[in-house]
Amino acid sequence: MKRSISTLVTVGLTLGLAACSGTGDGGDDNTVTFRIWSDDAVAAAYEQSFAEFTAQNPDITVQINQVPWANYWDKLRADLSGGGGDDIFWVNAPNYASYADNGNLVNISELLPDAVSDWEPSAVEKYTRDGSLWGVPQLIDGGKVLYYNKKLVSDAEVDLADLTWDPSNEQADTFLQALKKLTVDSAGRTADQPGFDPGAVTQYGFNAAWDFDAIVGNFIASNGGLYQDSGKYVFADDPASVDAIEYAVDLINDDHVAPSSADTNDNLDFSRDQFLQGKLAVFESGAYNLANISEGADFEWGITPIPAGPSGRIPVTNSIIAAGNSASENSEATQKVLDWIGSEEGSEPLGANGALIPAVTGAQQSYFDFWASKGVDATLFPAGVQNGVLKNDPVPGAQAASADLDSAFKEIFSGRVGDIQEALKEAQDNANEQISG
Amino acid sequence: MVATLEKTGVGADQEIRPRRRTLVLDVITYTVLVVSSLLVLGPFLLSTMTSLKSSKQFAAEPATSFPSPLTADSYVGLIQGNYGFGRSILVTAVVSLVIVVGQTVFSVFAAYAFARLEFPGRDFLFWAYLSTLMVPGVVTMIPLYLLLSESGLRNTFWALVLPFVFGSPYAIFLLRQHFLSLPTDLISAARLDGAGHLRILWHVVVPLSKPVVSTLAVITAVTHWNSFLWPLIITSGDRWQVITVATANLQTQFNGNWTLVMAATTIAIVPLLALFVAFHKTIVSSLTIKGFN
Amino acid sequence: MPGVVRSTRRRREILSGYAFLLPSLIGISVFLAVPIVTVVWLSFQKWDLIGPAEFIGLDNFRAVLTDGRFLHSLIVTTLFVAAALPLQTVLGLGLGMFLERRVPGSAVFRVVLLLPWVAAPLALGIVWKWIFAPTDGLLNAIVGQRIEWLATPSLVLPAIVVVSVWTNIGYVSLFFAAGLRAIPSDVVDASRIDGAGRWHRFRYISLPLLRPTMFFVLVTGLISSFQVFDTAYALAPNGGPERAGDVVTGRIYYEAFQSFQFGRAAVMALVLFVILVVFTLLQQRYFRSRTTYEVA
Repeated sequence: MKRSISTLVTVGLTLGLAACSGTGDGGDDNTVTFRIWSDDAVAAAYEQSFAEFTAQNPDITVQINQVPWANYWDKLRADLSGGGGDDIFWVNAPNYASYADNGNLVNISELLPDAVSDWEPSAVEKYTRDGSLWGVPQLIDGGKVLYYNKKLVSDAEVDLADLTWDPSNEQADTFLQALKKLTVDSAGRTADQPGFDPGAVTQYGFNAAWDFDAIVGNFIASNGGLYQDSGKYVFADDPASVDAIEYAVDLINDDHVAPSSADTNDNLDFSRDQFLQGKLAVFESGAYNLANISEGADFEWGITPIPAGPSGRIPVTNSIIAAGNSASENSEATQKVLDWIGSEEGSEPLGANGALIPAVTGAQQSYFDFWASKGVDATLFPAGVQNGVLKNDPVPGAQAASADLDSAFKEIFSGRVGDIQEALKEAQDNANEQISG
Repeated sequence: MVATLEKTGVGADQEIRPRRRTLVLDVITYTVLVVSSLLVLGPFLLSTMTSLKSSKQFAAEPATSFPSPLTADSYVGLIQGNYGFGRSILVTAVVSLVIVVGQTVFSVFAAYAFARLEFPGRDFLFWAYLSTLMVPGVVTMIPLYLLLSESGLRNTFWALVLPFVFGSPYAIFLLRQHFLSLPTDLISAARLDGAGHLRILWHVVVPLSKPVVSTLAVITAVTHWNSFLWPLIITSGDRWQVITVATANLQTQFNGNWTLVMAATTIAIVPLLALFVAFHKTIVSSLTIKGFN
Repeated sequence: MPGVVRSTRRRREILSGYAFLLPSLIGISVFLAVPIVTVVWLSFQKWDLIGPAEFIGLDNFRAVLTDGRFLHSLIVTTLFVAAALPLQTVLGLGLGMFLERRVPGSAVFRVVLLLPWVAAPLALGIVWKWIFAPTDGLLNAIVGQRIEWLATPSLVLPAIVVVSVWTNIGYVSLFFAAGLRAIPSDVVDASRIDGAGRWHRFRYISLPLLRPTMFFVLVTGLISSFQVFDTAYALAPNGGPERAGDVVTGRIYYEAFQSFQFGRAAVMALVLFVILVVFTLLQQRYFRSRTTYEVA
């Protein structure tokens, strides 16, 4: 008896679910599918935005599809290979070039020529290829800042304003001097005191690590160096870049002001976690960690501009665009949505929830207001790019070299490598070979 | 010729196989089992602890610290939140059920053919089946995706089910090995009595194979319950999202949201454990065939 | 008369054979064989997944077979299998034996030991990272020393082996427990009556009778351990320090989805396939002459 009931229920469920299966993606003609990588806060913001859009365009609904960040690019590629994929999808700089070249993306310069001026110029430039813009900029990073633990910094009597670093001039390197005061071992000695034990550090000063976006790229740029140029990697041929990289590596292995690479190489969260646990005094990172720190820190913290290198304060910056799928079966509605998300009205909810800075310049104030209400001056982020950013043209095929580059840099940061210049040269040439192959 | 079947369970076992329960051997047995269980549970303790932490504590303290305060926020958040988690459980359950039923039935047929029937090309086909397991899914997935795309089955229930429901080489292998070990005399007896193969299969062989078939059903259920890459590629959005994808979606680019993920993983294990418990008796029962002539 | 009966019988058997096979044959042909054939076809093409496929003959084969990273990953994977497979089989057998003693509470142990296999890899991956972490890691807390498990080239692969074995022994023990259960008690009892000692009983009676189970466990174990991915990916992303944890499936995935060289990934998959076929045939040859399927 029990068995037949459970059978009935199962059959019913199966039929019910199967009946609702519909035709697959898209569904109605008037549903535009919008793909982002997983982020609940952002999804909620878009829902708000699209609710307003549907109010103004009652015949079009927008469906937000989240894809896990870790697998986003695999799925995108597979989908586009089969002529599928959502009508609009997020892309970022390292990944968009091959899709643009292959004609998968809608040409925004042609579609929305008047709106381009509303958007953050650095983002527009980054996603312009062959003279056309290939997506609607949505979110930008601005520059990087130093998050710092107020108590640890004041205890060490260090002033983080106007710090400078210099790989070739120790006197001018006030940054390192400050970091040494902020690194403490179990006996209470700081790194600039005799008898300091690097093996027993209880508090680190800084989060130098193999983290291109947050650390290495910024050092390179602030030293006037280049990482990529004209479609190739050039970091080993450029002495400014080599010096900057060596400087960062030395912070870990020679000066001992940053945690061992064994902790940070495969775990980019380590430094942030240490900071939140009160074991790291200065944490260089971007706006993407602002929410995490704000929610996670149970101590007083602040943000301040990054130290100036010989060429100034020049960071790495990132942004995200929403690209239109040129194979979309719903192009008219899709175009309307693209127009909407490039507008001030459409982007405002993005800023208002404080996740990241909207690329639509007119909508950015909501972001600053949100954080101002929490006592944080978030204008520091866009201010950080005023002096320029790391020149970072996407290298077609860069993905092919990324694993080996990653391994090579991790080795270099581990301190096991004797001649860093040589190792960098090897890594660079290897990477360039892979890109062209 | 008469053969009698006797079903043995835990209790009956004692009678038929009188083992002298030496104390030493029992102590060793328990030691081994307990130590193994502790080693197995260790990591799960970590994951459960994490699921019971507040996200603030998780951010501010090492991962190995004990939850304080102990909170069920993650679980509540999962169920109440907008993650589509509840629906994903339903989808995963129905997909797994359909696959288990279809795969088991069709695999039984195939395995019996391979084990007990003779026909040209039998061995070649068996090894051909087996060899399909030797090509990594990561490459076959793309052509399969294209195939289903062209058929207009992208993002449908059937896309999740069809590639697996007609039988699996792994299942066929397992069942065939088992069928091979059944006594031929029993089957020959039935044949002499005039029974067709279908009859033999369903009335003689399958009843004898309940433990293996149950084990297989459970293995298949677990495999598809935890399947990730294929559902990820072939579906999009909330409607056909399975548990593994819903869990991965809890993470953002910059925050692993581990307290939520651990809670989701813990919830996802529960139905599987329930399945084990439900099928346990059948799986561990053994059928000894006593007496011929 | 017997001649006619026999041939009708035979024909019926052949028909039944194919009929029984039909559903799985269709399913496997369409959903497994066709993709595999496509993969073979793609091994002669240059394809980045989004553009058109371009025929380039044997270029991919040349590139892959001279690819140092790929060959290195084959070595790493072979080492992994050489360690993990025997370990999980022997330990699984041991556990199976202890479980089959049916001490009170065995049911609970059975379920607990299956937990690693039942849980989804995503969460377990990070938990093991926390266990192996150099700072505040559980293992270092127990050992009392700071060992950089996942950052030391000589320790990464052993770590992966340990996690893999940990995940699989409960599952392997299921099969051995079932196999042990299937050994008819009369045979074992008879040998006991004959005075055979416990080890002797095991070595010369039980073990040989377990061969069908052993065959299954080893064949499927070999096939799946050569294709290890999730564990290696979690503990040694991008191959780990000095690529000590770089496994073949990782390389294949990378070649397809990062280098966008699907043709080369296809060749790598075919190389793996050939290796597995060879090993499986070897296993089959070893077991064929030694395996008794029935105790009639």
